[in-house]
Amino acid sequence: MIPAINIVFLLLIFFMIAGHIEARNEQLKIPQSSSEKDLDAQDVDIQILADGSYVLNGQETDFALKEAIQQLTLSSESIITLHVHRDLPASSLDPVLKSTRQLGIKQLQIATVQQP
Amino acid sequence: MLLETYRRPKQLISLTPLIDVVFILLLFFMLSSTFNRTKEISVSASSRGQANQESKTVKVLITEPGVVRIKGYEYPINSSALNTELQAYAKSGDKVYLASMSHIKVQEIIKMLDLAKTYGISNLSLSESVSP
Repeated sequence: MIPAINIVFLLLIFFMIAGHIEARNEQLKIPQSSSEKDLDAQDVDIQILADGSYVLNGQETDFALKEAIQQLTLSSESIITLHVHRDLPASSLDPVLKSTRQLGIKQLQIATVQQP
Repeated sequence: MLLETYRRPKQLISLTPLIDVVFILLLFFMLSSTFNRTKEISVSASSRGQANQESKTVKVLITEPGVVRIKGYEYPINSSALNTELQAYAKSGDKVYLASMSHIKVQEIIKMLDLAKTYGISNLSLSESVSP
């Protein structure tokens, strides 16, 4: 009986974690490119999810994206990493581009996956 | 003297729990690692105010999926005419601003960025979208 419970428990954990990862990936399918450069993590990470919501360093920000980025005390050398859902329209990038321009941030890196 | 009475157990660890543990470790590392490494494309954020005097600027506008407009002419992506244009900009070091109509999907922008990168255009920046 005990080994059976062990195995069932293990399977439960497996499907819970796998399901969780899958659900997260559905919300954020990053675009494909043939870029060879590996992404290294930077201090600012912005995610734009499939429903159009913005997540700044893991925290959902509703509208004041510029103020939220500003609070992170950045220099103009900071690089912003952008994870954006691939099927969103170009206009969803506008708030990010606008606030980076206003804050004088020069470089953006857009996360992509390698083309299959 | 009781020196010889100690006897080593034949098997230190029994096999079944060992397999269990190894299996759990395998599962853990499989789930915690990502299989496809994330890549990146760098662009400079558009800064209109400090347009450099010495290098010219070129505006590339994505009007439809797979179609770009440069200086009033429309080019399909992957056409040889567009390739020669891009090569010329890479050579002269012009600053290329990429913009797109607001309904264009992000994947299309990335495709165009990718193309520009393969022609060695390093002076590349992304502008805000244009509403039709």
